[in-house]
Amino acid sequence: MSSTVNLSAQQREHSDFAERVFKESGVDVLKCYQCGKCSAGCSVHICGGMDVSPNRIMRMVQLGMEEEALRTRTIWACVLCSTCTARCPRDIDIARVMDTLRIMAHKRGITEGFNNASVFHNIFMDSIIKYGRVYEAGLLVALKMKQSGTMFADLPIGIPAMINVAFRLPKLPPKMKNSDQVRRVVENCKKIEGEN
Amino acid sequence: MRYAYYPGCSLHSMETAYDRSVKAVCKHLGVELWEIPDWVCCGASSGHSMGHLVGLAIPAKSLVKAEKEGLDVLAPCAACWQRMVWVNHEINNSPGMKEKISRAIEEEINGTSKIFSIIDFLASFGMDKIAQAVKKPLKGLKVASYYGCYYVKPPKVAHVDDPENPHLMDDLMQALGAEAINWPFKTECCGASMIFQDVDTTVSMSKKVIEMAYKAGADVIVTACPVCEMNLDMRMEQINKKFKTNFKIPVVYFTELMAYAMGSVPQQIGLDSGHCSDVQSLLAKIS
Ligand code: SF4
Ligand code: SF4
Repeated sequence: MSSTVNLSAQQREHSDFAERVFKESGVDVLKCYQCGKCSAGCSVHICGGMDVSPNRIMRMVQLGMEEEALRTRTIWACVLCSTCTARCPRDIDIARVMDTLRIMAHKRGITEGFNNASVFHNIFMDSIIKYGRVYEAGLLVALKMKQSGTMFADLPIGIPAMINVAFRLPKLPPKMKNSDQVRRVVENCKKIEGEN
Repeated sequence: MRYAYYPGCSLHSMETAYDRSVKAVCKHLGVELWEIPDWVCCGASSGHSMGHLVGLAIPAKSLVKAEKEGLDVLAPCAACWQRMVWVNHEINNSPGMKEKISRAIEEEINGTSKIFSIIDFLASFGMDKIAQAVKKPLKGLKVASYYGCYYVKPPKVAHVDDPENPHLMDDLMQALGAEAINWPFKTECCGASMIFQDVDTTVSMSKKVIEMAYKAGADVIVTACPVCEMNLDMRMEQINKKFKTNFKIPVVYFTELMAYAMGSVPQQIGLDSGHCSDVQSLLAKIS
């Protein structure tokens, strides 16, 4: 049995999500006509890093599939290279939409799409809030422990490379006069955003 | 000529070869760099993933210091550079954003400092001037210029070069006497910070770039971004193992070749020890 879906009617009925995405990002996703060019040039997608292709994310936003979209791996796996944005014939900033969806998911605490990515961002932010700059050695240890429960997962970069890296990596946290700058900025941002 | 210098975290950590070679090239060209005092991390890919305002306010915190000094900014890391360019772009194009960012950083910011990436900064001297500064021409060296994404995309924000086929780094390499090879993956993404989240996908992405440069006959890949550099340079052995390939191509910063051609000694700029890939073959070729 075949069934017909009236996309225009669907979009009208569920336009609330697309409107909120527009409000947050200034990007009108309804302009997307599903040519697929964004996905064809997306290296992350081509190399298997996404569960849903970028053009399908655009469609999900159009159809109001908020819960599904925010649970995709794609919104976290996007590296914001903006290749899609540069090529979209409808002049849609797809990268900005991905970033916006990621922020929406983060704010609602939805991380199951790609937990490793969310863990990375949290550890990275903790590092710069604490030190003002990234403390890579500390970050790497925290990351390995949280992502895989051990220090030694995913490190097969080769022994000569490991030696070189161990030599180059600063062992101590970065030194600054005022290491509290990022913490203040982050707190101020929370306050300002809370007002709206 | 005086410019505010924003090195960013990688250049002060693993990637000192970039920091040292940028400073050396600037010295050869008579540029004075004023390092922004007590600069903070730009927030990288995590800052903007946590919130739009916070992703702008964190880089603005360092940018405002240059603005107050009345200086334009040089930011060699392509990722830092783009974060800063976004700050100016949003101040000038999003109503109310200037006030929000100013409140977040507790200082007024106006978006008046121009922000240069190291590629457009050096290209702005003109290729004749660059060629004049060369003491050791890199004759016969085949260079694949790898721009990555952040330097050219999105074109509305990063509009200094062609987004699909940029050429300024190629021009610079030619001014050094090297041969800039024509190859199609100049701006293909290396996987960027995904390396910390999904190693398999990232090495697949980096492998495509290395493979293409290899097929095009490059002696060396030059980069302008610490993230690209780390992904291509550090992961080569891992890529060879995973894909049963045998790539042995040096990956260095384009500024290292520039500094070297202008008379710097490899040890001074990290061209000897600052990489995991086969720089010895490169040094043998150019010395
Ligand atoms: S390239 Fe643009 S119009 Fe085409 S599918 Fe992607 S977002 Fe839609
Ligand atoms: S910005 Fe994201 S979705 Fe667009 S091409 Fe790059 S990784 Fe893919």
